[in-house]
Amino acid sequence: MRGVTPARLWSFGLVAPPLVVALLFFLGPLIYLFYVSLHEASSTELYGARFTLANYAAVFSDPFYFLIIKRTLATASWILALSLLIGYPVAYVIARLPPAKRMLVMLLLLFPLMVSNVVRAYGWVAILGRRGVINTTLGDLGLVDAPLSLLYSTQAIVIGLLTILLPYMVISIANTLASMDTRYQEAAQSLGAGPVRTFVHVTLPLSAPGVTSGLLLVFLLTLSAYVTITLIGGPRTKLLVSLIYDNVVGFQWPQAAALAFVLLALALVVTALILAIMRPGRVQGSGR
Amino acid sequence: MSSPWSLPARIVRGIVVALAFLVILAPIVVVIIAAFSPTDFFKFPPPSFSLRWFYEFFRLENMRSAFLFSMQLALGAATFGALLGTLAAVFVAKRRGFVNGLLQALFMAPLVFPTIILGFALLLFYKTVNMPLTPGLLIAHAVIGMPYCFRTVLASLQSLDPAIEEAGQSLGAGPLRTLALVTMPLIWPAVLTGWLFAFVVSFGELNTALFLTGPGATTLPIEIFSYLQFQGSQLVIAAASTLQVGLIILIVFGVQQVVGLRRIVSR
Repeated sequence: MRGVTPARLWSFGLVAPPLVVALLFFLGPLIYLFYVSLHEASSTELYGARFTLANYAAVFSDPFYFLIIKRTLATASWILALSLLIGYPVAYVIARLPPAKRMLVMLLLLFPLMVSNVVRAYGWVAILGRRGVINTTLGDLGLVDAPLSLLYSTQAIVIGLLTILLPYMVISIANTLASMDTRYQEAAQSLGAGPVRTFVHVTLPLSAPGVTSGLLLVFLLTLSAYVTITLIGGPRTKLLVSLIYDNVVGFQWPQAAALAFVLLALALVVTALILAIMRPGRVQGSGR
Repeated sequence: MSSPWSLPARIVRGIVVALAFLVILAPIVVVIIAAFSPTDFFKFPPPSFSLRWFYEFFRLENMRSAFLFSMQLALGAATFGALLGTLAAVFVAKRRGFVNGLLQALFMAPLVFPTIILGFALLLFYKTVNMPLTPGLLIAHAVIGMPYCFRTVLASLQSLDPAIEEAGQSLGAGPLRTLALVTMPLIWPAVLTGWLFAFVVSFGELNTALFLTGPGATTLPIEIFSYLQFQGSQLVIAAASTLQVGLIILIVFGVQQVVGLRRIVSR
């Protein structure tokens, strides 16, 4: 293709609508959000006129924000570790099923992801709540006198988000394992490696791309799961995303915008960290 | 390949797998069963079967209109998003290079971007330009749905033999005719699959809609959330949740009849 031919013009016409929407309703508003985060709050306008870095300074000087960020990272680490620990063996079993059975099991994993998270969080409230399944069962059996308080803690958030996001981890790893050439394992075993050595030195490194995308999905979705965190964690157990919400509804929009960019920065740093540790690029032909 | 696991390890593995599926599926199953309870409050398992809470759901003006609004919104947003995603994929599929890579990243970005931040950024933007609620929400959901269609259509286009399109053009069809008569008939199952995911995501979406809903334009998930927060967990929520799940099963079943289950599972 040389110069501006009609065919070329026509194909730029193709990409114009999605490009305009992506720039105007995705990238543009994010740049605007950053601009707002650099201004002071105003009681009459969306944001004040004066330029300031105070919204960011507040995040780094206030011990309360620091505590919340620490809690967010700790919660996310637990969710990541547990989802990998549970997700990997499950994916391993699924990947070795015959194709027809595997598709059925994958559908069983995909289906919960299609259900709204508010429904799945409500399900955990119905199970763990004061009148929930566990407490009424224990009460009927006479094992407890008063209902246990199982909700409204960081542990409850970990359980809730872990189970809501686990299918992403399992599906990512199972897809990588299922498409893996089994001759690699056979080669290792014929060279005298036992099953454990084969797993540690062959299967595990080769599954790095699936593990990486599972970890990234679970982490990014944990960061922004406001509704799940609020329903299961209650009004007191706040994570970073709850602070953003509180500041938005409190009309502290520049502060909320600064917190949003702190959350994005956190997401970037952890993403880089996961990529540096897992190095999915070293597995050839598996870039997705 | 022989299993690298000894017997005790296999027992542990079996327990882990069973437990994983239990914790993934139990919350949904409990809610659906509880929805058919005749009792005033949550009781599990329910003593008998009743549709009481479904009648109650449709008696509540807010719930009923949120359900209808969510369906219309998901239909509109998925269709708009599928159109945009398909156009983007057709453009990107035949090109290489740095700019093309940037475009791909831009079109895929909403898929992994923290949705609550997108919702907040759009809220600020909409307030500034005085955007009405419903079109604002529609575009927001289309932006989130677009990558699903972009991804499925791009994969489908890349597995296509370019000779087929070249044949169309060498026989005198212009680019538009080639797209309509040659490419589209080959990629429409991918378009429909992408549309399905965009619909499902819009119908259950929470964190972007959180800031963008308002009087007369509230989605079912947001209505469920505010009901849970302000009125407590009454059983009408279980009925609303069951309807949410029911509609998804219905639409997945419908699309599956046309494009086949394998395509949906492997995307």
